[in-house]
Amino acid sequence: MVEFTVPEVDYTRYSNRQLAGVPLGVLAVAVLILAGWYATTGAPVAMGIDFTGGTQLRVAVDAPSGQADALIRNTFDERIESIQFVPASGEYIVTFGPNVDADAIQSQTRSAEQLDYRGLSEVAPGFGADVQRTALIGVVIAFLGMSLLVFALFRTFVPSIAVVASAFSDLIIPLALMDLLGIQLSIGTVAALLMLIGYSVDSDILLNTHVLRRPGDFYESTDRAMKTGVTMTVTSLAAMAAMALTATLFGVELLASIGTILVFGLVTDLMNTYMLNVSLLRWYKYEGVAR
Amino acid sequence: MSTIRDNWRIALLIVAVAVSLFLLFSPTMGTASAASNGPTNLKYGLQLSGGTSIRAPLVGWTAEGIQYDGSNTTAVEDAVSDRLPGVPTRNVEMVSPATRGESSWALEVRDNVTKSAVQSAVSGAGLSPDTVRPGVTKPTRQETVTILQDKIDETGIQGGQVRSVFSVGTQRHLITVEVPSANRTEVLNLLNDRGRVQVLAYHGADRNGTTVYTNRTTLTNDDFQRVSVPQQSAQGPYVSVVVKEQVAPRFREDMIQTGIASQGGSGCGFPREGSCLLIVNDGEIVGQFGMEPSLANSMRSGAWGSSNQRTFILPTGNFSAAQRLSVNLRAGELPTGLAIRQGTVEYVSPTLGASARLNALVAAIVAVLAVSVVVGLRYGDFRIAVPMVLTGLAEVVLMLGFASGVGLALGLSHIAGFIAVIGTGVDDLIIIADEIMQEGDVATDRVFRSRFRKALWVIGGAAATTIVAMSPLAVMSLQDLQGFAIVTIVGVLLGVLVTRPAYGDILRNLVMD
Repeated sequence: MVEFTVPEVDYTRYSNRQLAGVPLGVLAVAVLILAGWYATTGAPVAMGIDFTGGTQLRVAVDAPSGQADALIRNTFDERIESIQFVPASGEYIVTFGPNVDADAIQSQTRSAEQLDYRGLSEVAPGFGADVQRTALIGVVIAFLGMSLLVFALFRTFVPSIAVVASAFSDLIIPLALMDLLGIQLSIGTVAALLMLIGYSVDSDILLNTHVLRRPGDFYESTDRAMKTGVTMTVTSLAAMAAMALTATLFGVELLASIGTILVFGLVTDLMNTYMLNVSLLRWYKYEGVAR
Repeated sequence: MSTIRDNWRIALLIVAVAVSLFLLFSPTMGTASAASNGPTNLKYGLQLSGGTSIRAPLVGWTAEGIQYDGSNTTAVEDAVSDRLPGVPTRNVEMVSPATRGESSWALEVRDNVTKSAVQSAVSGAGLSPDTVRPGVTKPTRQETVTILQDKIDETGIQGGQVRSVFSVGTQRHLITVEVPSANRTEVLNLLNDRGRVQVLAYHGADRNGTTVYTNRTTLTNDDFQRVSVPQQSAQGPYVSVVVKEQVAPRFREDMIQTGIASQGGSGCGFPREGSCLLIVNDGEIVGQFGMEPSLANSMRSGAWGSSNQRTFILPTGNFSAAQRLSVNLRAGELPTGLAIRQGTVEYVSPTLGASARLNALVAAIVAVLAVSVVVGLRYGDFRIAVPMVLTGLAEVVLMLGFASGVGLALGLSHIAGFIAVIGTGVDDLIIIADEIMQEGDVATDRVFRSRFRKALWVIGGAAATTIVAMSPLAVMSLQDLQGFAIVTIVGVLLGVLVTRPAYGDILRNLVMD
């Protein structure tokens, strides 16, 4: 039987600078990507129709799969931004840009014999902009609330800032990955980012508690915390990867985007917790406290 | 020595699971009208059952903080309406401080105009408001919500829901309308209808020796005491109405004066000659008719209009017009419309809803299986892994019980919330397991308690951060995310207070004998 064991890392072989360098370097690259994206497109990430406005149609197509795409494009006069295939149900998700006439799309769908109308959602551009602002406020408040709580729990600066910094990086790196992989920001991805705040803090709190509040030397404590923490993160990772895969296959977009972003975030969290956070804690334990 | 007192946490979990199963499956708990499907009492929202949902602001502007003595509100309304081309006086209203429960007057313009047009019209009428904001006053908003709800109910659709939500990000009120099992066109038609009904007397009048045909408004929405459902007769579709007692004499007088109730009745010659009655619904003529001799005679003799005879029939050109007329007369005229072009409309077909329900279930099951496999591989010891997965599932049962108990209409966001809770739940169970099972056997109860307390500290901290992270969304009404946040918070609370501590006790029983 395959057994899953958490590998033991010999942290004594690496300096704090080496340990922290990798996650900070990745974070810097991520920030650069977001900045570059902002400079070229006017937004740090590509916004989906929830935020820009637009119309999304869902149809089943009665045609050989090779011809479905062309059939859809011929049916509509409006400009199509993307066509996405849902393997399990054979449906297609057709996204139109903002300011298209949803009524026209509906009637064109109804009169096309080979298309079976399954669903339509339309978001007015102004409404999308409002949602965008609300979402941003929500994420910022959630992050600030989490930070305050972490400082209240640990009451020391370095361990607390370690948690907050690693949570911040857990949000930024998945956002940059979204840009690279062409995933648009949607209501579902915002939900995922908020879940990430919760998930990423779990393993950080665990590590901090073990190192700061338990007897035993730094390396023993870290080792114990890692055994539990990595198990936790890998379990969540497995669940989210499985959910992302199934939901993508079945075309449940909300669950698919939540799953995908969490997979990115949890992998990032492994790196941040056990490289960035560990190095900050070690510095604090051996040098910071002495000061 | 396993008494209930030692294992009260497990007992509490068993009781909670039993209550949840009762809420989920007991036929006594299901409400008949709810759109519940399958063997459980769970209700499904639009995304999982099909239907149309709309979220949009109301049409209109409100000028607030107006100092005014209230002496002649009609004159003020006329003055503002005159300065806004195309806006009739009935779409302009002064709202008194008493109505709004505030210290100043407000003025509503319930029409599609620009902010600057409203500002200049209001100041042109001699008023100086503090602000002009989009939207209408609270009483108008509440009235609109009630009438919209009535309209949906009168159409015969079950389970339609209209609510007003406040969007924190934009400081605006939005109206959400959710109508299960209705398609987009049906719902848009229903909502786009302002519902203003007029019965006009089209009649000839003598002007300088020539006969000119004009309209006189004889009845409007508020003049009816009773309105029937749409009916079908050999002559065509109609709605039967009873005119209010205080309105009847005036209406009878109108009928006689305009010659519609003339000796031998009248035939309708609209749009050329001959007096007749026109039914106008939102500016569109939906019915035109003359008067039968018997009714005309009854009006002339004064028999019609007495206490027990004020019935009248409104025939329409087709049945759907009769239905629309009946709904509008019963629900009333909307004070203002929904600005659907500034909002969002989502339609989910019944096919898509049913498959989304199944697919979301499959995705959740796959996630649980993945968790089970990893936990099984990690611990190898089934005494730890099996109760861990079972406790995680118990948490899901509690949440489903909660959902059917409060009658939550489940959507995809709620499913995402369930999955998030399973995730944090299993994380916490791993913390408990590792803490209790660490090297050095759990020899005494004291050691167990101390380790358990340490685990709970970490779990409590993690749960608190999750709740803090989710709470802004629970109050912000950001589309679907509100449901997601509420489910996550409730789930984390149930987990931290009930299921996760119980797992500690289960482990103690398994390892300490």
